[in-house]
Amino acid sequence: MWKKDDVKTPGVSESSPSAVSTPAPVNPNPSQASQRETAAPAQRTAPAPGNTFGNASGNASGSSASVSQGIRIKGEITGSENLFIDGQLEGKLDLGNASVTVGPNGVVKADITAREVIVRGRVDGKVVGSERIQIGSSGQIIGEIHCERIAIEDGAVLRGRVETGRPLAKPTEARGIAAGASSGNKNSDTQRPVTTAAPANAATAGTTAE
Amino acid sequence: MGILNKLGMAVGTASRPAARGIATGDRGRGNDAVALAAVGPNRTPEKNETNRPSNGLKEFMWSLDGLGRGTLLDLGPAWQTTLNFFIERGFRVSSEDILRGWKNFVSEEETQLKQHSAAASHLERGPEGRVERFLKTNLQYEPGAFDAILLWDVLDYLEPEMAKQTVAHLTALLRSGGVVFAMFHSKKPEGFQRYRVADSSTLQVIATPPLLPAQKVYQNREIQDMFARFRTMKSFVGRDQLRETLVTK
Repeated sequence: MWKKDDVKTPGVSESSPSAVSTPAPVNPNPSQASQRETAAPAQRTAPAPGNTFGNASGNASGSSASVSQGIRIKGEITGSENLFIDGQLEGKLDLGNASVTVGPNGVVKADITAREVIVRGRVDGKVVGSERIQIGSSGQIIGEIHCERIAIEDGAVLRGRVETGRPLAKPTEARGIAAGASSGNKNSDTQRPVTTAAPANAATAGTTAE
Repeated sequence: MGILNKLGMAVGTASRPAARGIATGDRGRGNDAVALAAVGPNRTPEKNETNRPSNGLKEFMWSLDGLGRGTLLDLGPAWQTTLNFFIERGFRVSSEDILRGWKNFVSEEETQLKQHSAAASHLERGPEGRVERFLKTNLQYEPGAFDAILLWDVLDYLEPEMAKQTVAHLTALLRSGGVVFAMFHSKKPEGFQRYRVADSSTLQVIATPPLLPAQKVYQNREIQDMFARFRTMKSFVGRDQLRETLVTK
């Protein structure tokens, strides 16, 4: 399911505390954040089951953790490994530079922050994809979307605000990004933000650089 | 907004190869399908899709000219092409498929009423109460949050009371000087169709399975009454009996 090391109690997240600072649609209760309603054993799959929609591989190993159908998690998940969710998740999900795929049976009530988010199930919450967000034909997102690029298949349901474009980075990082942007290749991978905290900060402020 | 955008030459006509991938449902390409631009009027249409020139949309875009980073509320389904069209012009887009939302809301309430007869006494079953409950959980945005609203032909499919209250609600969401692009059928539509923007003067009409039955055919006077709080109204009647209406607050 997920690496044991990756499951953190609130306040000890690997990422910046400000990574997701406005839990608008879902307001996870900190007292419940570390509760896991099921103690299902972790599963490790490569690739994620049924993941034929796009490329979900983002880390060097290419493996991904998965939350299978029937598993319900309440709490906070952080880490740096790709994750496939076909079960239920409530709380907060911050995978930094990795990829999240919500399968067709997945129901996520959480703010999601990741490099790439692919949605084929239902997501209630703010979704921040530093690189891109893809909503499949069976996908539903109820909440804000902040990403650099978005792809929506016909039949997808989207209810909320969409902010696309390069998120504002911290001043020290902005110089490098601005230099890359001036080269004219807007979607180049070389312009990827250095940290994962930047997108959420920019999203919170409601500003994006396009 | 550049002059090329006004003429519909900037994005739409230049992106045919990329657009074709998603239009034909080619979902296996993954990353290739991501960086799509709005499709042009010359793109090969799908079987259930036709292009129609839209003077209303052209006027709509002209009225938003020079707005810079505007805010738009799209009350139709989320289409890649429509989103890209406006995002590339600097708009911040909010999307809410109001017809789907209404349908789901009504069916959920009906189910609740069937399952819990006690709940029936608590719910006001009249159309006004139902619309009020719907608007409490939908279309929740700050007053004056939008510069423009794409209403499409949504009002034709809402019950008259719902349509009236929805317009009143949308009026509050629109800033002063904001524009609404609506469409009305001049006769009862035979099928159900959705719309997406191909370029600044062309709409793609997509025939889809009916979501809701058409409720009412509005006459000019009724439309004017519905948008009585708006400053100006312009209408364009197409050959397909579709009346495009542009109202400015």
